[in-house]
Amino acid sequence: MIRKFLENTGRYALFLKTVFRKPEKWAIFWKQFVTETDKLILSSILLVAVISVFIGGVLVIQTASNMQNPLLDRMYVGYMVRESLVLEFCSTMVALILAGKMGSNIASELGSMRITEQIDAMEMMGVNSAGYLALPKILAATLFSPFLMLLSFVLGIAGGWIVVNLTSIIPLAKYIAGLKYCFNGFYIFYSCFKMSLFCFLISSISAFNGYNAKGGSLGVGYSGTKSIVTSCILILMFDLIVTQVMLY
Amino acid sequence: MIKVEHLTKSFGTLKVLDDISIDYRPGICNMVIGASGSGKTVFLKTLIGLIAPDAGSVSFNGQDIMSMSFEEKKRMRQHIGVLFQSSALFDFATVLENVMFPMDFFTDWSRAEKKERAEYCLERVNVRDAGSKYPSELSGGMQKRVGIARAIALEPKYLFCDEPNSGLDPYTSILIDQLVSELTKEYGMTTVINTHDMNSILEIGDNIGFLYGGKMLWKGDRHTIFHTDCEELRRFVCANSLARNIMEQR
Repeated sequence: MIRKFLENTGRYALFLKTVFRKPEKWAIFWKQFVTETDKLILSSILLVAVISVFIGGVLVIQTASNMQNPLLDRMYVGYMVRESLVLEFCSTMVALILAGKMGSNIASELGSMRITEQIDAMEMMGVNSAGYLALPKILAATLFSPFLMLLSFVLGIAGGWIVVNLTSIIPLAKYIAGLKYCFNGFYIFYSCFKMSLFCFLISSISAFNGYNAKGGSLGVGYSGTKSIVTSCILILMFDLIVTQVMLY
Repeated sequence: MIKVEHLTKSFGTLKVLDDISIDYRPGICNMVIGASGSGKTVFLKTLIGLIAPDAGSVSFNGQDIMSMSFEEKKRMRQHIGVLFQSSALFDFATVLENVMFPMDFFTDWSRAEKKERAEYCLERVNVRDAGSKYPSELSGGMQKRVGIARAIALEPKYLFCDEPNSGLDPYTSILIDQLVSELTKEYGMTTVINTHDMNSILEIGDNIGFLYGGKMLWKGDRHTIFHTDCEELRRFVCANSLARNIMEQR
């Protein structure tokens, strides 16, 4: 098992080395980059938006219902919601959700291309297939995912605001005061960094698994599942490491 | 000219290619024949460098492909056209874009020039009207034709075809065979075709190697194949009733 792990890690490193070679033609790379940004990031906006709005609302209700002590100012509901969103939900939870969407998309696309010999055909033309197919995906996911995090944060706050307005669970002024209380801008950077790192892991691991898919349609399915599981585990592992390094 | 010397490849304990040596000349249809599972595809993929052999060498005009660097291999491959068994057309691109794909990477032609060349190649294989369609909208025969058009887009020196007529009806198969043969002569390419189709062998087999159990048991052409003493090859040939009749008459 350890040998297999080391072998896969080595192959993953070699794969990345091939992926990060200079593109054959920049014009083709930019075209692909724009296409992948649309496919991986823009198409995820709706999913992230819906989840964020609902989670923001739920967080307000749960936090308020757990802070019934009259000695605690209701303002802290807004504060807790903001901190929960920025520190964990908008990066880690959204990344876990994206691991499913983005990971399966990349792994199945490359896996299908592998088993139908399309990748072999590219290689035979002298094209760096790993670079052509995976580099735009990895860069698009890594560079633009922080925007998804920011969007998730804003919409999470908005979701909470909607619930506060509709239910009057706490006074709106208190919610807004809580959102402004002790704001630390570094947390936004920390969360954007985490999101970027997580999306790099998701896209590169899924591309690696899809690119090396074997054994027909079952192999494509297996590569998708493997990508999602590996990405989720690594996201949680790196969440712990990055949090320890950056916040403590 | 392609020279294969002592090529050997095993997967685990299974020896798929066993000390194969053969020369392939340009301008004729060189064929690798054998039953399913005899190692034809592995042989072809080893020839074009997609599978690394355990031993032996493959040289293209005197250049050993195994000792080439990544960049040298990349340059070399720009002179190679491959038609895969599954056609391997890119799902994300139209037929025209598929044919233009190698030109996008390896030429500095304008879009109009690339389009003109792609349309010429499509016309050459009789699928000009399909340019705006996606591969999934084409029949198997048309996909093969587009695959050939893409393979010849940059006028390669070498053409490799892995079972070009598998899954096609006999009439379309012969048309594809004739097309490959014509293009081979027209461009003076060194063409290597993997097949187990006796009709193709009899139609265009100028230089034939018979693979059996990983060994190249017999070498000859479509005329000498009926005079063989090789029992395994006789069995292979006689599985086709037409070929059996010819063999019995002789």
